[in-house]
Amino acid sequence: MGCLLAVLSGAALAADPPAAGSSGRGAPWWSPGSGEVLPAAAAYPNDYGALGIVNTGGPVATQGHPFFEPLGKNGRACVTCHQPASAMSLSVAAVRAQWEATQGRDPLFAAIDGMNCPHLPAADPASHSLLLSRGLFRVFLPWPPRAADGSRIEPQFDLEVVRDPTGCNTHPEHGLHSANPQVSVYRRPRMAANLRYVTSARFGVGRFIGKNATPSAVDPLTNQPVNMNMMADAREPTLRTQAASAAATHLQRDDALTEAQLAAIQEFELQLYAAQDSHVGAGSLAEPGGPSGLGARAMARGEDGVLGNNDGSFVFPVEDVWRSLPRTGKPDVDAKNAFRESVTRGHDVFFFRTFWIKDATHINTVGMGNPLKRTCATCHGGHMTGMDSANGWMDLGTTNLPWAVEPPVSPWAQGKPELPLFKLTCKANAEPHAFLGRVVYTQDPGRALITGRCDDIGAIVIQQMRGLAARAPYMSNGSLATLREVVDFYDRRFNMKLTERERVDLTNFLSTL
Amino acid sequence: MPKTVIRAIALSLVATTALAEGTGKTLSFKACPIVRDTSTVPCWLAEHEGELYYLGIQTDLQGTFTPPYLGHQALVEGEVTGRRLCGGIVLEPVRASTLPELDSNCNAILPAEDRYQIDFNPRPPGPSVGRYQRPAGQRQRRAPLEVTARQEFQVQFEFDGRVKARNAGDLNRIFNYAQTAKASRISIVGRQGGALLSNGQRMDERPELAKIRAEEVAGLLRQAGLEVREWSVSWNPPAVPDGKEDWADRRVTVVVEQ
Repeated sequence: MGCLLAVLSGAALAADPPAAGSSGRGAPWWSPGSGEVLPAAAAYPNDYGALGIVNTGGPVATQGHPFFEPLGKNGRACVTCHQPASAMSLSVAAVRAQWEATQGRDPLFAAIDGMNCPHLPAADPASHSLLLSRGLFRVFLPWPPRAADGSRIEPQFDLEVVRDPTGCNTHPEHGLHSANPQVSVYRRPRMAANLRYVTSARFGVGRFIGKNATPSAVDPLTNQPVNMNMMADAREPTLRTQAASAAATHLQRDDALTEAQLAAIQEFELQLYAAQDSHVGAGSLAEPGGPSGLGARAMARGEDGVLGNNDGSFVFPVEDVWRSLPRTGKPDVDAKNAFRESVTRGHDVFFFRTFWIKDATHINTVGMGNPLKRTCATCHGGHMTGMDSANGWMDLGTTNLPWAVEPPVSPWAQGKPELPLFKLTCKANAEPHAFLGRVVYTQDPGRALITGRCDDIGAIVIQQMRGLAARAPYMSNGSLATLREVVDFYDRRFNMKLTERERVDLTNFLSTL
Repeated sequence: MPKTVIRAIALSLVATTALAEGTGKTLSFKACPIVRDTSTVPCWLAEHEGELYYLGIQTDLQGTFTPPYLGHQALVEGEVTGRRLCGGIVLEPVRASTLPELDSNCNAILPAEDRYQIDFNPRPPGPSVGRYQRPAGQRQRRAPLEVTARQEFQVQFEFDGRVKARNAGDLNRIFNYAQTAKASRISIVGRQGGALLSNGQRMDERPELAKIRAEEVAGLLRQAGLEVREWSVSWNPPAVPDGKEDWADRRVTVVVEQ
């Protein structure tokens, strides 16, 4: 077990985060077309305990199911990158294990996006370094952007490639100046579970986006606005359009999926729930009488489309059941009780600990001012998921400099930058980025690659915070290897001045979600 | 009576007199906004000619005051009252326009002091409580729209500003009303107006902003799928600022007719 327990200042226990995440070696790998049955409920071990998957539709016979069958030319299925053991995402540990098991020949490593760039030599780990080191897939998008009807969007900024360690953005066939100009950015796959919450249109959805008053995307089947909370850049409006797009790109399918296939994928995704169910420190997270918001069954029961940032419907309801627990003199029981108390304190840090939220577009620019004295739950306010309520993209500094994680530049530095760096210069007739000005350096322009807007540069849709223990590394660019690094990143970004105890408690809390 | 007490009373009388003298006066000035922390929510201040003015507190999106941004100068336009809050003379009503370009000098966050207390805020700095607290399962129901033959909407802008996040609500209201009313005609008139500052200087909005605003509002409604038989999009020449409610000219008027 890669998770050690350490005693810190009195009774507070900390889950020592695994170096490279969890659910890797030893975790079951679901191969496309295996034909196994996905049970109604299952537990998948990870270094923190076990993740629960609940399928409210009952067991799924995966033979012939479009989520599980290879549908394109490269042998992948949806399940290739949305593995149950990785909370329907994909941990980098699982990627590495699969590389070792197949010597890099699994369809997971397809050149189209499982390689840093398709022109690189196959089966060479260096060609797949971003997938192997950070769990990143190449996302290639047309430049300039295209609207839903295919028309060209005139961007508000000029885009230059400053650094191109993968060679893809300057490549004559795949790059920005190729015959078919593309921008390549590198992103983590998101969870294909709890999607009833992710796609809910019951809160904050209107014809115009609350972030910047531009028109909302609509469901092409109903013409009704959608919440635009899917994918890192919200470029697909519905589960069906996302599946269709993914089949064409990630699966390299030439023809369109049938209506029956799209319907089956959507139905499956909306009945699947995932969350950590047990924990090496806290024991069962889903036992009767425990916190009502933990565990996969709680996800299946919860109400979607609820703003959780209030004391009537918490983001993650944990109540006070673990706030103060007895000491029995039995080391294992006392250690568990101490850890559970730490989880409750970590919840309180997440929910109540104020700090200055400053210079973050699409939170400080929506009408509440810059800065804003609030808490983690202000941006992560979606009940049960910790996503933003709707239209949830923000620039929290994960990809934009100066906050994005970059290796030090010096003659003595060991690490080399792995990600591309772009320079975006807002045109004179456009309003500059509110907090970074007219020139922004970024590893991934995020939503701006879809809209061409300066205020969207580096804005990334907030991910759900469930199943974190099963799917390291974190952030859209995989820049943070452990949950502790996530906590430390935010402490640095927003000058939160967290104490060591607060950091430990918050890390422990995150590991139970 | 101790001398210190007499001095304090005298000073407070002077301050009260000074406040009373300025009451009702409209101020318009450009300044760095200042944030003062309190034991609850922070408040927003700005300094003008050696005096500190109170603009408002951090609230929620439902709040009527839209706070400015640190990192930018703001154009403050408001009416002097006889009250002090957070150490500043209250301007009410007040509008603060965030000016687009960055200004790194505008970065002051003052610490909380016991003497400055905000006890009327409906929205604490953490999670909502009280009247903003709403348990899961209880959803607010919207009152049905009342449709009339002609309905006028105002879309207000900050100085030199175009459509921003705060206008999403305006556009949603116009769109929903026009759809419900099965509107046959929409008239959109853009306006712009500068600011005559209290020091006599004049600030002008960028050229053709009235046109840009009108076309932007019309374009967004069309892009969102609003289908109306007749569209009229026009704009007025820039209004001449006089230092009194100059902000009111920075708007687009939308008239929806059945």
